[in-house]
Amino acid sequence: MEIDGNTLLLVFVFLFILYSNPSGDGVTSQYEYNQLQTLKAQYEQEHMQFSNLSSNHNFRNITGLKLSYGDVLQEPKINATYPIEGKDYDHWFANQNYTLLPESVEYEIKHSVWKTGHNVYPPNVTSTLRGQVKRSHDEEFVVVPMPIPEYYKPAQDLLQNRPSFAEPYDSELGDYQGSRNITFLEGEIVVEILSADTISGLYERETRFQNTQSDRWRFLHLNIHFSDYSENEKHAIRSKAIYDIQNGRILAFSESAKFHSLFALPHYMNLKNEDEATYNQVKTLVEEYWNATDFINTRSMAYLQNSYAVASTSCEFLAFLQLDPWSDFSQEQIRTIDKELTWPLGRSANLSSLPPVNISSGLIYSPDCGVRLQMKNVTGLRYELQVRKMRNLLLLGAVLLASQIYLLLRQMQHTNTPSLVNKISYWSFSLMNLVDGVLAIIFFVMTNSFAALYQPLIVCSFACLILASVFEMRYMISVYASQVNERNVSIFTLLRRNTDGDERPTPTVIPDEASISSSLYRSYVFKMLFSMIAILSVATWPRDLRAPVECLGIFVLSSYWVPQIVRNAVKGNMPRRTETESPTGTSLPQRQSKPPLLWTFVIGTSIIRFLPVAYVYSVPPNIFYHHQDRRFVAVVAAWLFIQIALLYSQDVFGGRWFLPNYTIPDGYKYHKAISSGELLEHGSSENHTIDCAICMNDVAVYVEDIAETHKVDQQSYMVTPCGHIFHTNCLENWMSYKLQCPVCRAPLPPL
Amino acid sequence: MSLKRITKELNDLGRDPPTSCSAGPVGDDLYHWQASIMGPPDSPYAGGVFFLSIHFPTDYPFKPPKISFTTKIYHPNINANGNICLDILKDQWSPALTISKVLLSICSLLTDANPDDPLVPEIAHIYKTDRSKYEATAKEWTKKYAV
Repeated sequence: MEIDGNTLLLVFVFLFILYSNPSGDGVTSQYEYNQLQTLKAQYEQEHMQFSNLSSNHNFRNITGLKLSYGDVLQEPKINATYPIEGKDYDHWFANQNYTLLPESVEYEIKHSVWKTGHNVYPPNVTSTLRGQVKRSHDEEFVVVPMPIPEYYKPAQDLLQNRPSFAEPYDSELGDYQGSRNITFLEGEIVVEILSADTISGLYERETRFQNTQSDRWRFLHLNIHFSDYSENEKHAIRSKAIYDIQNGRILAFSESAKFHSLFALPHYMNLKNEDEATYNQVKTLVEEYWNATDFINTRSMAYLQNSYAVASTSCEFLAFLQLDPWSDFSQEQIRTIDKELTWPLGRSANLSSLPPVNISSGLIYSPDCGVRLQMKNVTGLRYELQVRKMRNLLLLGAVLLASQIYLLLRQMQHTNTPSLVNKISYWSFSLMNLVDGVLAIIFFVMTNSFAALYQPLIVCSFACLILASVFEMRYMISVYASQVNERNVSIFTLLRRNTDGDERPTPTVIPDEASISSSLYRSYVFKMLFSMIAILSVATWPRDLRAPVECLGIFVLSSYWVPQIVRNAVKGNMPRRTETESPTGTSLPQRQSKPPLLWTFVIGTSIIRFLPVAYVYSVPPNIFYHHQDRRFVAVVAAWLFIQIALLYSQDVFGGRWFLPNYTIPDGYKYHKAISSGELLEHGSSENHTIDCAICMNDVAVYVEDIAETHKVDQQSYMVTPCGHIFHTNCLENWMSYKLQCPVCRAPLPPL
Repeated sequence: MSLKRITKELNDLGRDPPTSCSAGPVGDDLYHWQASIMGPPDSPYAGGVFFLSIHFPTDYPFKPPKISFTTKIYHPNINANGNICLDILKDQWSPALTISKVLLSICSLLTDANPDDPLVPEIAHIYKTDRSKYEATAKEWTKKYAV
């Protein structure tokens, strides 16, 4: 491609479009600029108010906290305004007149969820916990209206320059119950606890956030996902949380345009203790977080728009969790364990017997959806331990892949002549190739989401890639090349192999290996693409639909010996232990027909490919959290066993023993008598012999009408379908290199 | 088996020599031959005599013989080491081919080069774009090295 003015211009325009996106705040219009300024001013004001709060002061004007549950109970149609006549703003008590929580919920939190006791809790609880969640529907809660301030809304028309700030609020959002309420009764929950100790400041500089009270309080990010069992309804909460290490309590509030919940954390953390010291400590923590993140200056347009989107599509949640204590450990031990997990140096910490992170009781309440959820059996391993488990599994996977490569190499060595390669089924290996290629892509994509496991994942991905696109493709190319003359022939002709009167289209151009390999690689890439798209879309389906599709898919992908069984039947392989007797009694060296697939390869490959399926479906605490289905594992195992048994039976009884007689033809017979017409065609000498083009000596042939030649052994020469005659030794030798007639290059049927 | 076949070919060559080519063993070793080709009259190589060396593998005729030019020649499919890019000497070999047939193929290759699959891309490029220049250079080299 020549570089000329047009190309340069195109490149320049392209780069300009790429790089001229809004930087920094992401503001693209005057309206948005005003929006962002209003937001920042609002936060500034709320923060000032917050710094003046003490444990018994009310929230006043902070967004989302203007109303309390008591207010709404009194007057269900109340507007969320400030100030409300007759409300006490100078005090704050932990009851429903001041908090968002109804009395029953508050009672439950104080008495059954949050427990007191002198126990030891681990300071670092980064983990992913899974369990069940139940909605209690026996009580009807009144919905607390939490409207979105006007300045969050996008511009109504192009001329609008300034977002409106004052009340009344946007009440068009109206019916909250409809689109985003929680309607299921029981479901699954995943709680992801992340420690907020690296913060991205302005311009993406990451700083370590050290709060001064890290033995007592930690700042966490909690991502909670819950859905019903059949995965039809999914909800997600991204929240900031406070972890009370002494009491093992976690408080998490979701945050959005209608709920500036950061400022509410100290008050609600104080619900049970109700003492000044706790309140001040948590307030200090929040202040430190505010300063460390430079909260006001790092608010960007993207943050604003995201807040607005979350606010309009989901409810707000308050989560109260209580962890199980690690009572078998002392503080000192826990500290050592923590250090050992983050920086393994071989300290004496008994890591394998660590208890899991367990939520003994948890409650999630939504004020503006009026819903209460209870968690049960939510448990999981510490993140570092989880990573270790996955790493061990991945290394085991890499070992399995390496042994698969070794077995494949042995198999390739076993079929080192074109006749044997011809007996291998192309589709068997194509199926295995598909699985390996898709696995390579999946491993590679996973390196993005699991940064800690980058090395084992990339090793597995590389091994899969080598297996699929180098070794297996190489083998498939040679198998395809040896079967290229069968492409246009129907399977029945192949079965019957009629050679008299049937016009076999002899290809004038036999495609060489280079063009075969390029076409095979092309189809390989397309197959990969389609499989990836199919897998990605199936992964998003609800469980009812996904589970049977998954089972069907795995069953089909485990049928990789079926094409080989079919091919053995088509080829009609001789059973291994036959002895053919030659008509004249002289024994020629018998060729033992080798089975096309090496038995170690068959059994080894079946085991290697079965183990992951067995692991995922039958070992309970497996890392994919897949549902258990032992019955399915047994079905797959039985299916594999049946296939291997069929292969073995074909080896012992012959390729076609289960087919009825009429489908079994005789194979092409190379040793036959010729007529005297043919003899003349080939220009014989007086002894009725023909020149063998390979060794250039005479071949004595059995001619039907000439009696003198009847003493010639028909086994000593071979006649090709194209009518050329050679010595048996000469042609068999040549056929171990190529299945092509030396004289006219017509394809030869294998022996 | 290979020795027998090579001997047979030698005898056939002696009995029925082809025009413009000749071949025979170097010394006593029947697996090493030397051959000579006269430049085809309708090609720029006319008037030159080109020598080739032939090595037979031990599994001849199931493997092709290794043939290379010992005389320098200007041709798109023959490089400076004398290696010949000819399909029947590689994957299209057949045991029915004999040395005389191969030498005849090489003669026709001299007359009709195959610039789409060249061993020396520069010469192939000149062959395709400026035929007269190619012929002039070929004649020059023939005069210089093959006479």
